[in-house]
Amino acid sequence: MNDLETMLLELKDTSEFMVDLAYSSLLYNNTEIAEEVIFLSKTLDDLSARIQDTAVELGMSDPKEVERVVILTRLQWSILSIAEAATSIADVVLRGLGAHPVIALSIKESETTIAIGKVSADSVLAGKAFGHIRLSTISGMFVIALKRDRAYIFGPGRDTVIREGDVMIAKGPEEGVQYFKNLCDGSDKEI
Amino acid sequence: MMDPEGLKTLEHVDMTVRELLTEMKDTSEIIVDLAYASLMYNSENMAAKVHELEEEIKNLKYAIRYKALLSSRTKEDARQLSGLLQVASAADRIADAADDIVDLMELPLEKRPFVSAMLYESGEKIRATKVKPDSGMVGYTIGELAPEACTGCKIIAIKSRQGWVYDPEDDVKVRSNDDIIVRGTEDGFNCLLKYADGLQPWEFPEEQVEIRDETDDEAESLEERDNE
Repeated sequence: MNDLETMLLELKDTSEFMVDLAYSSLLYNNTEIAEEVIFLSKTLDDLSARIQDTAVELGMSDPKEVERVVILTRLQWSILSIAEAATSIADVVLRGLGAHPVIALSIKESETTIAIGKVSADSVLAGKAFGHIRLSTISGMFVIALKRDRAYIFGPGRDTVIREGDVMIAKGPEEGVQYFKNLCDGSDKEI
Repeated sequence: MMDPEGLKTLEHVDMTVRELLTEMKDTSEIIVDLAYASLMYNSENMAAKVHELEEEIKNLKYAIRYKALLSSRTKEDARQLSGLLQVASAADRIADAADDIVDLMELPLEKRPFVSAMLYESGEKIRATKVKPDSGMVGYTIGELAPEACTGCKIIAIKSRQGWVYDPEDDVKVRSNDDIIVRGTEDGFNCLLKYADGLQPWEFPEEQVEIRDETDDEAESLEERDNE
């Protein structure tokens, strides 16, 4: 994969994550999660600009690449449109208009939920790789993204090592949430 | 005054606002997965489903506007419904984007081989596998298996001898040798693979059943179990 494709994938993963977060912010009427969507949308502005520049460079350096660039640019527009839709959902929450009971009920029908946990210094997870702790097997919660120093790692792999201060965003059944949160903040050490 | 006959041009007005919004949210999620999967597997059939869902979400959008406007009585109603309608519009916008993604398929395949290779590397994985005859999933409905809660992977399409079913409902049964297309994390897919290959018996989400006891959904699936 070239740089352009790598960046476009990051754009795609971020846009899907934003949709997930945006609907979750509605479910809990949670402005913190909604803010996260807005934060991500800002990082996408920058990423989009870089994609555009790289696309232009690539197209100018080799006319044979122009077709590929056009396809990727079309894909980029669609992805950005999805990201904007997610932002507009988060905006509803931030404006205080997400409290309609029907909204939460509609979102809740889904069989999974999203949980956020911050890894504390005395959490048993700190310093361990995902492949080692098998978090999904023990808690039912699948970590879809990990926020480290204001940057996101999407779909962390088996070798990704969890660090103190990481904010983990996981999807799973309602019953797994408390245990997951307890493992993160260190109040439950049993794995 | 609205002509009562005019209702005929509006579909889904018999649904409640809650049902309409649930449907729109679910559709907006599945349609994006199906759009990328169409490109990855170059499936015209799946692309047609994306177009169909996009049409459908438009109909749902008009229906939810109609219902919301009718139900607004007070200023507070209007305030809250304005948020709800914004969410409905966003869901529609997502579906539009998914539809545009699928339009890339009109380009000849040889011009876009890199697209499917690229999507394969995505963090959010879309993968296909076959359910082996001795898999613990065989004979159970998707509602009973609750794959998303168990493995973090959602089954977005399933192909049996009858053909493809996209966004399968809870009552769709998984059968031996079905092809399934799932969406989730790499970790989740590896977990699902063990079940589909029959290397590990399915772990049913028992607690989940108790919690959802009171919903209509649960009542329906209980009825089905009684019938069997």
